[in-house]
Amino acid sequence: MTEFLSTYGVLLVGMVLAAILALSLYLPLMAGQLSLASPGFYAVGGYIAAILSTKVFLADGETIQPFPIQYILFEMLVAGVISGALAVVVGVLALRLRGIYLALATIAFVEILRILSLNLEFTGGAVGIFAIPQPFSDAINYLWIASPLLIVSALFTYRLERVGAGRAFIAIREDELAADTIGINPTYYKVLAFTLGAILAGLVGAISAHFLNTWNARQGTFDASIAYLAFVLVGGSRTFLGPIVGGMLLTALPEVLRAVAGINGLPTWFAQLLRDGRLIIYGILIVLVTIYFPHGLVSPNWLERKAKTNASEAMQRKAAESAEKNI
Amino acid sequence: MLYGDGVGRTSVCLDKIGDMNFGLLLQQTLNGLAIGGVYAIFALGYTLVFSILRIINLSHGAIFTLGAYFTYTLAGEAFGFNGVLARAALPLGLPFPLAMLLGAVLAGLTGVLIERAAFRPLRTRNADPLLTLVSSLGMAVLIVNVIQFLVGAEIYSYPANALSILGPLPTAINFGNETNAIPVRTIQIIIFIFSLVILAILTYFINYTRMGKALRAISEDAVTASLLGINTDFFIMLTFFLSGFLGGIAGTLVGLSVSIAGPYFGIAFGLKGLAVIVLGGMGSIPGAVVGGFIIGLAEAFVPANMVAYKDAIAFALLFIVLLVRPRGLLGRSGVQKV
Amino acid sequence: MNNSSPLLEVKSVTRRFGGVVAVNNVSFEVKAREIFGLIGPNGAGKTTLFNVMTGLTPPTSGTTIYASKDITRLAPNQIARLGIARTFQNIRLFGNLSTLQNVLTARHIHSHTSALSAVLGLPTAIAEEKINRDKAYDILQLVGLAQYAAERARNLSYGDQRRLEIARALALEPKLLLLDEPAAGMNANEKHGLSDFIKQLCDQFNLTVLVIEHHVPLVMGLCNRIAVLDFGELIALGDPLHVQNDPAVIEAYLGDETALAKTRRPASATR
Repeated sequence: MTEFLSTYGVLLVGMVLAAILALSLYLPLMAGQLSLASPGFYAVGGYIAAILSTKVFLADGETIQPFPIQYILFEMLVAGVISGALAVVVGVLALRLRGIYLALATIAFVEILRILSLNLEFTGGAVGIFAIPQPFSDAINYLWIASPLLIVSALFTYRLERVGAGRAFIAIREDELAADTIGINPTYYKVLAFTLGAILAGLVGAISAHFLNTWNARQGTFDASIAYLAFVLVGGSRTFLGPIVGGMLLTALPEVLRAVAGINGLPTWFAQLLRDGRLIIYGILIVLVTIYFPHGLVSPNWLERKAKTNASEAMQRKAAESAEKNI
Repeated sequence: MLYGDGVGRTSVCLDKIGDMNFGLLLQQTLNGLAIGGVYAIFALGYTLVFSILRIINLSHGAIFTLGAYFTYTLAGEAFGFNGVLARAALPLGLPFPLAMLLGAVLAGLTGVLIERAAFRPLRTRNADPLLTLVSSLGMAVLIVNVIQFLVGAEIYSYPANALSILGPLPTAINFGNETNAIPVRTIQIIIFIFSLVILAILTYFINYTRMGKALRAISEDAVTASLLGINTDFFIMLTFFLSGFLGGIAGTLVGLSVSIAGPYFGIAFGLKGLAVIVLGGMGSIPGAVVGGFIIGLAEAFVPANMVAYKDAIAFALLFIVLLVRPRGLLGRSGVQKV
Repeated sequence: MNNSSPLLEVKSVTRRFGGVVAVNNVSFEVKAREIFGLIGPNGAGKTTLFNVMTGLTPPTSGTTIYASKDITRLAPNQIARLGIARTFQNIRLFGNLSTLQNVLTARHIHSHTSALSAVLGLPTAIAEEKINRDKAYDILQLVGLAQYAAERARNLSYGDQRRLEIARALALEPKLLLLDEPAAGMNANEKHGLSDFIKQLCDQFNLTVLVIEHHVPLVMGLCNRIAVLDFGELIALGDPLHVQNDPAVIEAYLGDETALAKTRRPASATR
């Protein structure tokens, strides 16, 4: 068991972080916003953690072994706050746009951040920041930070879908104009959804900087947004469970394929496809899912059936009550 | 991108706009016009599809890449060490202009294939345009990574004698004189002239032929056009073919000008193309041309100390235009019916 | 708010779209507790006028005053907050939400606990949610859709969807209700039922109602006063009897005297 955990520790942590990143895209999507901006906030969060831990907390060259967890939590706090603030600014500017225009604006945002980080001095330029201190000796221990974050985000999103704010998001997604006319301020809620997603992405970035040990401009790219998009699309875009399932599944899939590739007797090119073809598979999946399963694997119906029986029970109760009153 | 002139000297970017002298101005302008022309051709691929279907085909950048690679293969060149097709090459190489033409045709056909596979099923279902966008994105990812899988991610260059069919050409043309040399790479000039030719042919086609008229009719109102007997399906395929053809040409031109910097180069170029159409106005053919040249020139005139940020210009412009005037310079504003 | 000042004033509202003048210098007032009809041939600018009143599109010139407050430049959600609710000519429900949820979304402006306390499940938020749910359910009962509470809105029949839209508008607890062609797609019986229903709502909820309608008999029997638009201009304004005899109105409906003739009944049968 312990051997399994240590071999697959990295993968498990990767799966959990991917699930949270998928949620970071799901939140704006709940309000109908196709935002491809998560990688930008992920990068920002990572840089904040990297810079704080290598330059601020420690003097150059100094290390504390192991790196105290409280510092990481503090870095996450800073990352969350700055991502949130940046998101509000960008959001207020960009979320007046709809559909494709918004997606383009978020793409531009990510590219601009990437080019900036590639060239600015304090982000380490093209080389980036390396030797980011580790709080744990084993990768698997990152689950102590990542899992609580996933559980909290999942619960938060689950609750959100069931209260007024979540309904406001969905109303905006269904018909922004109609939502406006019944008193829901679309800009406010779109920015809110966008900001919540950005904060999540920033938090994951902060953790990942330590997890990956180095951080550079390759951490926040357009490719990443495609991966997160695949997570949500394949997993399910109509319920909070979808992105979580999608993130974990699509992160584990390449590893599974890699293992399959090791089986003897496969033609070389096929084995190589299984090993290196992660993005090819994502691409195929995205196309197939958008055409044949537009709402992804996990359907809200699974949860809805329970809700329907609850609702009909409630109605019968109410009908009985009002019948009594009328007697 | 720095433009080498082949004789060892590199065009110098301006240190400050104020230090301009005529020679540098000419160099920068011609460089800008050359790349601007390529941006324009590439962006027109987006525009054609958008004006017919009101969606952005995000696989356009991948087709751009494909075109470059097709031409490379058809010219008989060999692949590098990575990828499944390592060191493979066609037994026979075509003369370069023919290879370019054929490569672009193949790219166009790929465009048609993509339309059938990724766009048509969604169109018949009247799906949300965002779904189509995402589907095309999936195609882009698929194509680019298949290329990488097959031929690796190294940089490929077209043979130096690619344009030998035009006769012996100097590597650079000197616009100055002996003492005050102003070299401009010949290839840039050729590319610029070639872009103008392509643009002229396309404009003629759209505005003066029956097919072009049919395309314009469909872009105004697809339903009415089909009621009038225009075979919309055929014309949609034609549009995708033209779009892919243009993308393939653009890819080869860029490959000629610089090199084929790996399959992912198409994605980056594809994103820039988006900046061009947003700036010029989505769905506007003159807009794509104007936008292409503006961005090309803007990039060429970046001061030397900011060269690293050159790529950011297009995206910064994209972001600003979206904020200030989403319909771009020459686009039409859409009125939403309630 | 005293009874002598009008609840809604439309003052010289004009709306151009490029070269097309959809609404041309239209002015009228709506008094509190009135049922006010807005009729006219297709394309006369009635829906555009609604859109101007509810903030969906700004007027090219002119102002809209509601309860003595200038609402011309307000956003739709602000106007909703002030107490104006509307339905749409082409139904705009939240198709994937349940019937109950559709009505619940309109309770939004009556929710004062923060989103955070709702997510955390704090007692005040839970209590407020329950109140809103009950109110939403009551409205569904009122319009006769209670049995579909858990059903997805897009699965309802056309007539039921229209009723749901009205229910959603009522959930706002508005003072002014704008109905855009509420009888579209209904048969004669249903139209009659709708007429009675609107009158009942007016009394029960102290509402003022502004109705766009095509079906002239419905409007004549329902409304206190009627405004007639044609090509964006106001061509008649007054009580039903006066309007249906107005020659300009008759001509506007393509000289179709028979359509209006059918509505002319002896005085005793009018409202």
